[in-house]
Amino acid sequence: MAKWIRWWGLGAFVVFAAIVGCVWIFFVDGWVKGAIEGAGTKAVGAKVELDAADLSLFPAGLSLTRLQVTNPKTPMTNAVEVGRVTMSLDGLNLLRRKVIVEEMTVEGVRLDTPRTTSGAVQPVSDMSPEEESGMFALALPALEVPDVKNILEKEDLETLRMIETLKEDMQREKEAWKTRLEKLPGKAQLAQYEERVKNLKKAGKGGLDGLLGGVGEVQALKQDIEQEIQSLTGAKKEFENTVASLRTRFKQIQTAPQRDIQHLKAKYHLSPQGLANMSQTLLGPQIGWWVHQGATWYERAKPLLEGARTGEGEDGPQVHKPLRGKGLDVHFKEAHPLPDFLIRSTKVSADLNFGGLAGTVHNITTDQPTLGQPTTFDFSGDRLKGVQSVTLEGALNHVEPADSKDQFTVQAKGYELTNVALSKDAKWPVTLTSGVGDINVNTELKGQALTVHGAGILRAIHLTAGRGDDSNPLTKALSSAVTDISQLSIQADVTGTLDQPDVTVSSDLDRILQDAAGKMVNELAAKFGAELQTAISAKIAEPMQQLKNELSGFERIAGELTERVTQHHDVLSSLLEKNLPTKGLKDLPGGFKLPF
Amino acid sequence: MIKLLAKLLRVLNSETDPGQISLGLCFAMIAGLTPLLSLHNLFVVLLVFILRVNLSAFLLGLALFTGMAYLLDPLFHRLGLAVLTAPSLADLWTFLYQSVWWRLEHFNNSIVMGSLVFAVAMFVPVLLLSNLLIRRYRQHVMVWVQKTRIMQMFKASKLYQTYETLSSWRPG
Repeated sequence: MAKWIRWWGLGAFVVFAAIVGCVWIFFVDGWVKGAIEGAGTKAVGAKVELDAADLSLFPAGLSLTRLQVTNPKTPMTNAVEVGRVTMSLDGLNLLRRKVIVEEMTVEGVRLDTPRTTSGAVQPVSDMSPEEESGMFALALPALEVPDVKNILEKEDLETLRMIETLKEDMQREKEAWKTRLEKLPGKAQLAQYEERVKNLKKAGKGGLDGLLGGVGEVQALKQDIEQEIQSLTGAKKEFENTVASLRTRFKQIQTAPQRDIQHLKAKYHLSPQGLANMSQTLLGPQIGWWVHQGATWYERAKPLLEGARTGEGEDGPQVHKPLRGKGLDVHFKEAHPLPDFLIRSTKVSADLNFGGLAGTVHNITTDQPTLGQPTTFDFSGDRLKGVQSVTLEGALNHVEPADSKDQFTVQAKGYELTNVALSKDAKWPVTLTSGVGDINVNTELKGQALTVHGAGILRAIHLTAGRGDDSNPLTKALSSAVTDISQLSIQADVTGTLDQPDVTVSSDLDRILQDAAGKMVNELAAKFGAELQTAISAKIAEPMQQLKNELSGFERIAGELTERVTQHHDVLSSLLEKNLPTKGLKDLPGGFKLPF
Repeated sequence: MIKLLAKLLRVLNSETDPGQISLGLCFAMIAGLTPLLSLHNLFVVLLVFILRVNLSAFLLGLALFTGMAYLLDPLFHRLGLAVLTAPSLADLWTFLYQSVWWRLEHFNNSIVMGSLVFAVAMFVPVLLLSNLLIRRYRQHVMVWVQKTRIMQMFKASKLYQTYETLSSWRPG
């Protein structure tokens, strides 16, 4: 036995293990730092840097110093910089390859800090500069009646299009009915019937045999004529329907000019509707931009919320596909399941431009279905620079991925607004010079359905509007109305999806502007409408007369059809009754009667 | 590498017990075919140190089997996946999955499981076969090889000079 045991080997193993342990302890901090930087850079698409990482084993914990996350769009700026992160780890679960952080403290969070070197890892794509707030053209009502003649020359009027279409249809129908008339029974058929009647009369004078043979012929003749009458009556009815349809369209054309006038009024901004929705015009794009920004960040965070959970069954083994050459991890049901990554509680203190903001985030994980609890957060700050108080709270619930529900509420009190450009339109610039706002926003995203309701009251506001050399009576009236405003209440609602949000904004501003300039715009619109009415009526007079002529052409076809039906009836009733040998038939045994 | 081959030749030609060489190769097979940084390999290293196995054979075998492992990974993956997803073994794996140590062993990885099953299954056959081959080599081949022209040429080579240098060292 002693031949096979090498006792000094045990000592050698201990030395070997100690060396390995020392190497691990010496280098582990660097490995952790590298792993965080590598994974972070890959996830963000720009450099994630760490000054130092310190892993402790007893008790298990990790502390990170100065974490910098580069903004991928502006590589010379950090999107987030964190002074210090400390976390206590669940050591036992770490051995099970699960990173469970019991408590994490994030201190000194700052946003948009400058970098000394570029944090780009790939060339920054040429993106068009984001639209500056307020940089949009206002659809203000026009103040001069445009030249109607010029408008009608270049505009494609619906009325004219309808006239042209109807004219073509009328001509086509007319040609079709002319062709059909030739195929319908006419004078040639009537002459044939008369000939057959004459022959019958001759047969009636030939005694009883001739009389009995004639009865069958009479019956056949009557059926033939009735079929012709039925065919003619059906064609006549069809023709009447066609003409009725054409007449209906003709009547519709008579009302089409009004639609053209309304369309042109709106197009040339001679409608007071623009004023009725000025809040939407001024604030809608800004709110839409905020929603877009929120959606962008949400889409980035969404994969983290939903994690890499691909397994379907709860009980059976679940196969997760890792990197190539590393095999596959088969996961089995755990007695006390926990996500692979979980931070139970995170305390955050941020030093933002407007002051300190502190809060807590619970249950940060990539696998909420396993944890069975949503991620919740709440932040607040008091007596901040420019804001009296801010609270932000919400929950990201992806416990049931197919029925996810995210919601958050933001409340800001005493939010000071200064020099906010509401409109940089050359015709009518509007700036909110100063004001204080109380804002309350509730957001909910259920599946793909987005619902945002925001309400705000702006107090002590001072607005400047218009240009100094403005001679336009409308913008002068609007500017005067706007500068008198001292308080506004605003309601904003966003519905739809993150990709296609539908923003609706309303405020007192709409009513104020309507009162100030609505009458002026209405008068101009009425004048423009009257001129358009006259001009369009003159322009369509001739085409309408042509349509009338075309319609009257159908009367000739109607007359022709009516005449043919009448003639067939006449043949049936008068010629047959007068010429048949009915006297002889009355003497027949059994009281034989003609079947008509 | 030349030194390592020379060492092996020296070991094969020495009076070292064939069982010690074979055991070294078999332990190397486990450590080399399975992912190196696995918990069971710590136990293998402990056995290599404590048991009087030939360290040169272990180190050479480790290099050889690690290289082979890259080629055999697809086979290990399929074998491991079949074992891990076998319905009859599901209860056993689920039981082991609850244990911290088994999770640290990463037994639920298809390549870890496949390569370990393969290496353990081949342990005894390889031990017996290599024992037999070493004995046969010493009995029949070694003397004949020494006389062949290739061996004569080999003796004039750098490899042999290295071997000679090592031969002058004290056997371990």
